[in-house]
Amino acid sequence: MALKGAWRRTRPLDRLLVALLLILCGVLLVWLRPGPPGSRVVVEREGTVIFTAPLDVERTVELAGRLGPTRLAIRQGSVCILDSPCPRKICIGMGSITRTGELLACVPNGLLVRIDGGPGVQPSEPAYDLLSR
Amino acid sequence: MIRFPRFLHLLALLPVLLILGGCPGRSEAPAAVHRSRILMGTVIEITAYGPEQKPLERAVGQAFAEMARIENLMTPHQPQSDVAHLSAADGPLQVSPETAAVIAAGLKVGAASDGAFDMGLGRLKDLWDIEGEHPRIPGAEELRAALVGTGAGDLRLAGRTVTKRDPRLLVDLGGIAKGYAVDRAIAVLQAAGVKHAAVNAGGDIRLLGGRGDRPWKIGIQHPRRKDAILATLELANTAVVTSGDYERFFERDGVRYHHLFDPKTGQPARLCRSVTIVAPEAMLADALATAVFVLGPVAGPELLQRFPGCEGLIVAADGSTVTTPGLAGKVTWR
Amino acid sequence: MISSAVDPRELDRQRRRVFLALFAALAVALHTVEALLPSPAPWFRLGFANILTLVTLFLFGGRAAWAVALTRIGVGSLLLGNLFAPGFFLSLSGGVAATALMTGAKAVAGRHIGPVGVSALGAAGHASGQLLVAWLLLVRTPALWGLYPYFLLFSLGAGIANGIAADLLLDALRDHPAFAGRLEREGR
Repeated sequence: MALKGAWRRTRPLDRLLVALLLILCGVLLVWLRPGPPGSRVVVEREGTVIFTAPLDVERTVELAGRLGPTRLAIRQGSVCILDSPCPRKICIGMGSITRTGELLACVPNGLLVRIDGGPGVQPSEPAYDLLSR
Repeated sequence: MIRFPRFLHLLALLPVLLILGGCPGRSEAPAAVHRSRILMGTVIEITAYGPEQKPLERAVGQAFAEMARIENLMTPHQPQSDVAHLSAADGPLQVSPETAAVIAAGLKVGAASDGAFDMGLGRLKDLWDIEGEHPRIPGAEELRAALVGTGAGDLRLAGRTVTKRDPRLLVDLGGIAKGYAVDRAIAVLQAAGVKHAAVNAGGDIRLLGGRGDRPWKIGIQHPRRKDAILATLELANTAVVTSGDYERFFERDGVRYHHLFDPKTGQPARLCRSVTIVAPEAMLADALATAVFVLGPVAGPELLQRFPGCEGLIVAADGSTVTTPGLAGKVTWR
Repeated sequence: MISSAVDPRELDRQRRRVFLALFAALAVALHTVEALLPSPAPWFRLGFANILTLVTLFLFGGRAAWAVALTRIGVGSLLLGNLFAPGFFLSLSGGVAATALMTGAKAVAGRHIGPVGVSALGAAGHASGQLLVAWLLLVRTPALWGLYPYFLLFSLGAGIANGIAADLLLDALRDHPAFAGRLEREGR
């Protein structure tokens, strides 16, 4: 009933605009879809990379942010936030990410976790200059 | 009025001339020298970059000569070395200023680490013979005998005079002398005007400047996978030393016996698989790497906190890793 | 000479000022209450205060709408205590983009567009403006734009709701003599 009332309050142009915007959303969903599975995790704080690791080695790591330490788990090709000192724990609720371009962020703590690499990303330089053993 | 513009022309020419004149000196590193030599029981590689080939080669040669000199001074295997004399001495012995300085540094690390770094383990090393032809597992009695006189205060230093607590003590500077030699090599290169170089003595590394226009990428050996890298560090102008249980060892009944002993027990230290120390000097990094290896992943970082500017990456016995905060951002895990 | 107290033009101008102040105050109230609501990401807001910007736009025109919007952003931030904090800049960019699109749409489409359409565009502008500033100031990864479709969808929903609410409000106000003649009869 309320819906009918709502519908009557719109004009043809309104409906057209909403339809167009919805189509735009759909297009963007496809365009900006996260890419192929990535190969590395990169963690940034205030724009500088503070940690990076491959996705295929299982590990748990603790990283220092503005408010305190955030714990990340890298498992089975994906990464998720286990624990963080933020008030609302939105970052933990973001779940795990695995594809290139996907993001996790604990904004209060200032940490950004993203996936990098993926097929076709070749290193052009040698892995290291000297070996310390 | 007429002379003024001409003077201005000359003035305008001057900066152009200066820039042109300065140009050749500006160009960085068209020459590279990479040499290896076997010294101190390991392969030493020196890499240097600079504007001209000949001076670089000369400097590298001098660096190697310096390392050979240090080896002669501090190796236990040559009868005229300071260390050999010290091991054979009954009473106080005066050593060269350099040996005294190295011993002083070692004593400082030893004191701070509650004896985890000990320069009196010569007898223990001979007993295990890990690096020799017949490595064996010594019995409890033998271990006790080998540890006589070791521990805190086993060496006392007054000026250039060294006194052993027990005359049977055999001095071994193996955990620190290589680092010192690397530091001296860098000093020689620096004195010769080299700005970008790296000295790698079997994994004990010291860097002079960066690698041209970027920092050096130092790979850390994976402690269990021979052809794999654990991580890389981006560093410049610093020293990196790794101590690992995979370098010299033998296995019996599934147990690994390696060359990094816990001075308190005489047995190989069991808490770590490998330790990488980044420090301003290779000598300090060398001693700290041994100490931290013995102390383990919990007490090790605590020791490092007492040495400002020294950071560490520890692989514990269970494979987990500990990185000190100063190293964050420079480590790329593989 | 008619006394100024009864001069219809002066009366009109006074009325306009009073109502603009009222709308601005209501917008600020909505803005601050909205800050208490949960949101998908910190500092991102749904923009319910735009209801008042919409009503102002339809009643008093584009310039008035800008006045209400900017007042809302400034006073709202002062009340919330986040002037010049990231939340403020996101509000500002979202609000500016939204108001620009809304006034532009009304100017272009005139009678053919209703509050819902204008609000939908405003919502799209709100989401885009916030994301743009978030990208520029806070999180400089292109990966942030992966969230764009979701923010857009979210805002669109809020925008349609805003439009309906504004329409309801306009309907209620249309019959009041204070606004006589301000709204064209639509003949619905």
